[in-house]
Amino acid sequence: MKPLQGKLALITGSGRGIGKATALKLASEGCDIVVNFFRRREAAEKTVEEIRALGVRAELVRANVGDPAKIAEMFDFVADKFGYLDIFISNAASGVGRPIFDIDEKAWNWTMDINAKALLLCAQRAVGLMAGRNGRIVSISSLGSKFVWPTYAAVGVSKAALEALTRYLAIEMAPHGICVNAVSASAVDTEALKFYIREGLVKDLKQTTPVGRMVTPEDVAGVVAFLCSDEAYMIRGQTIIVDGGTSVAPFAPMIQKGDG
Amino acid sequence: MSVEEEIKDIVSKIAHIDKSIITREGTFKEMKADSLDIVQALVAVEEKYDIEIPDEEAQKFTNFGDFVSFVEKEVAKKG
Repeated sequence: MKPLQGKLALITGSGRGIGKATALKLASEGCDIVVNFFRRREAAEKTVEEIRALGVRAELVRANVGDPAKIAEMFDFVADKFGYLDIFISNAASGVGRPIFDIDEKAWNWTMDINAKALLLCAQRAVGLMAGRNGRIVSISSLGSKFVWPTYAAVGVSKAALEALTRYLAIEMAPHGICVNAVSASAVDTEALKFYIREGLVKDLKQTTPVGRMVTPEDVAGVVAFLCSDEAYMIRGQTIIVDGGTSVAPFAPMIQKGDG
Repeated sequence: MSVEEEIKDIVSKIAHIDKSIITREGTFKEMKADSLDIVQALVAVEEKYDIEIPDEEAQKFTNFGDFVSFVEKEVAKKG
């Protein structure tokens, strides 16, 4: 029997990127999956097909997690279709890439609503569906919560809020039998990153990771799956960094070139 | 009010631009609407007409007229 057989995971933003890799990883361990998407229906439908090919159940639900009413509808969908939930992965992210002085209130709220407030509202709804099921919640953060990247202020702050919220949720949800953690990645090789490279905001990052390659969605998905396993039961409120060593050796690229 | 006029209303409010500069031939770039304005306009229009405009479709819009035409078609489908 596979480790997650008979369990159900809802993964926000799982049509592509880290969310998709996580969906496929959990599905490969026997987990049924509810794929949430917002703007890319074709990609999400393809992900559902790939999950079903692994022999588990997969359902698709469209929702903008920046909208509390849509979050409610998404959880109503899970409640109606399944009536329970074992794993919730808060992965959907958006944000406005602008220098500090160009961030208006609309851009700030859009970013905070999707990246931080959504976790709070989703976790509140997940509790009822996870009753008596040893639930797991994992949020996906980024190193921009601690480090400064160009035009990343709004997203970086939203991710810092996400990590703080993860700690509070971990403690307040422990009595409900729910284990809450986060996974933080450096720049991950996804379509979202390609946007930043196209816009000239970041360079090709292969050379800046001490390990010598970029972090992949599958690298992140593997750690998320570990946090959903029995072995991770006593890890609570932590943000596990998956960055190939970048954050502990920020000057490594310069040293390797001999000019550091 | 026509669908076109209603969409003009939505876009002008979200992007804070004068309705009179929105033409079918005009692009969002020309109207100085940024990517967040565009996404929020798409979402607002979806909610108003209870339709879906996936990014795969939205990326094909070359100007405001394409956007309006797509919405008109979707609204007509709904009867």
